[in-house]
Amino acid sequence: MKKLYFLYHMSWQFSGMVWDHAFALRSTPRTNSVQQIFGLERHIEPRERFTDLTDGFGNRLCVGNYAEAHDHFTYEVCGTAVVDTSKRMPSPCHPMYRYPTKLTASEAPVLAFLEKNQTPEGTAEEKARMLMQELYSQFVYQPGKTTIYTTAGEALAGGCGVCQDYAHILISLCRSCGIPARYVAGMMIGEGATHAWVEIHDGEKWIGLDPTHNRPADDGYIKLSHGRDYQDCILDRGVFRGNVSQQQIIYVGVEEMT
Amino acid sequence: MNELIDHADTINALLARYGVKFGIYKNNQFHEQLFPFDAIPRVIPKDEFAEMEKGLIQRVDALNLFLKDIYGEKKIIKDGVIPEDFVFSSKGYLPECEGILPPKGIYSHISGIDLVQAEDGNWYILEDNLRIPSGASYPLIARELCRRASPRTFVNNNVVDNRNYAQLLKETMEHVNCGGIRVIMTPGRFNAAYFEHSYLAERSGAVLASCSDLYVENNCLYYKDYVGKRQKVGALYRRISDEYLDPLTFLPESLIGVPNLMSAYRAGNVAIINAPGNGIADDKGIYYFVPKMIKYYLGEEPILRNAPTYLPFYKADRQYVLDHLEKLVVKDVSEAGGYGVIFGRDLTKEELANLKKVIENESRRFIAQEVIDFLDLEIMDGHDQVKRKADLRAFVLSGKTTRVWASGLTRFSRNPDSFVVNSSQGGGFKDTWVLSR
Repeated sequence: MKKLYFLYHMSWQFSGMVWDHAFALRSTPRTNSVQQIFGLERHIEPRERFTDLTDGFGNRLCVGNYAEAHDHFTYEVCGTAVVDTSKRMPSPCHPMYRYPTKLTASEAPVLAFLEKNQTPEGTAEEKARMLMQELYSQFVYQPGKTTIYTTAGEALAGGCGVCQDYAHILISLCRSCGIPARYVAGMMIGEGATHAWVEIHDGEKWIGLDPTHNRPADDGYIKLSHGRDYQDCILDRGVFRGNVSQQQIIYVGVEEMT
Repeated sequence: MNELIDHADTINALLARYGVKFGIYKNNQFHEQLFPFDAIPRVIPKDEFAEMEKGLIQRVDALNLFLKDIYGEKKIIKDGVIPEDFVFSSKGYLPECEGILPPKGIYSHISGIDLVQAEDGNWYILEDNLRIPSGASYPLIARELCRRASPRTFVNNNVVDNRNYAQLLKETMEHVNCGGIRVIMTPGRFNAAYFEHSYLAERSGAVLASCSDLYVENNCLYYKDYVGKRQKVGALYRRISDEYLDPLTFLPESLIGVPNLMSAYRAGNVAIINAPGNGIADDKGIYYFVPKMIKYYLGEEPILRNAPTYLPFYKADRQYVLDHLEKLVVKDVSEAGGYGVIFGRDLTKEELANLKKVIENESRRFIAQEVIDFLDLEIMDGHDQVKRKADLRAFVLSGKTTRVWASGLTRFSRNPDSFVVNSSQGGGFKDTWVLSR
């Protein structure tokens, strides 16, 4: 069990005025059997005006709009998370997590990888961990080589990528051999950016695996959203009118409280 | 009826003048073309229509229950009636719609069911269209012009008046209205069915709007008129497809959607007609299971038949398809509008062998059907009457009750060798008369 203080800060700075700005944010953690969220504070600019919903995947979705002109947009959320993976409760698996999406399709490089790295018989968790181990040893962490549109197969063929690619590849590998898997966007202990990992369903419950670090997602991880792939979990989506350039700043800080 | 044939040119000229056109994109260019009207109506006798009506109501009721089940409890899957992967690996299934129960539990408010009549007189269902089926406006305006050109025709023949479509539409929208005005949302004048959007709005008393007239605030959808006054929208008949509906939920590059419309819908503040996510029920692969759905949800025997269909996904069916490919029609389940339809008899030996290989490797991707011997309809070709293939799109409206519009869009192929009647492939249309006696 870990008690974590977290801060998620996201802001857009526009080079001029924008208007008719609508947003949909999935960056508010919610309480589940593994993580309990306390003292949640949220701050949104230019005006505190939003509503909360639950999306089709079960994530907390914060939506709103500003018709009036503004040149910046900030969303900040902080609070305390008590994370204890040993408290994980059984939960059913929605069948959508068994089937490929465009970003996680069983493309040739994925099938070739499975062919080459056959896993011995075992539980879903054991198999997934073995695939994670193999992936970790063959794939290199290197930013700038992939984009948000890169599929699991493309990334695997390229041999390098970022946490999103690790997650997509592991999801694709797992689903290709019959293990339901989903994408998780969230935060982990430390400072910097958000992180992505994977949850697999072992027939009874969802288990977190972090392929970028080749380890289970332990008590130092806070989930923000989950879905079939990155597309379902985008933490901030927005559209606006205005001919401007834009700059996004994201800061994430998670520290253990003692 | 002969009098109508004499007036055919006048009616076509009027249709052109009223802008009854059909737009198609071909080679990246937008062409607007007239939708040629043939004056000889399709005539359906009273008893025959009554039977068809029962079958259509039954089918659409079952399809609506299926949609509610799939986005809810998924009992039909748990009970093993439909294999899970036909639903969850289909492009038509939208997980973004999970957990939403649309107003009054209705998903398909306006269903366009395509049928053909075989030589033996039996009607067969070709496909269900539960997303945004178009076409009701064409027989509607054609009837109006025919009545004007030859009023006596409609006195002498006992034809059920079809001018109630707009009223049916209005009642269907009102039934699920969450409080506010009724809006028909069009992607704009470069859409294939723009004529229809404007015509139905005018006739049903709904406001015709495009995305720039609509916005979401506080989980409510608003219409902003030309002086900037806003009105809450309670029922939105959107004529744009799901993937473009809301750039914050579906395709982010959509410029014709309304940001956060799905949130207003999820919050229960607006009815979307038809509901997003319906594509799972009119998927060509799911079509095979509709008779099973009718038995499962309603405990009834299907009144209307499916065309005999095989799913290569099942081993026995696959063997039959591979053995009889030259007499079957194969359809790619992910294509629409008459694309991806292959007649085995048109293929060379080599092409047949290739198709067999594809079917074996990607069995989930196809369905195969027996070719139905269509009952051909008379059309005018210059001054001659000739026979051509035709189908019928029946419109079923689900509101307080499920009702079938006593008319429909009869489309025919102008090409004597073609079985494909889709308007996007250059066919024409006829009025459909249902007799009252």
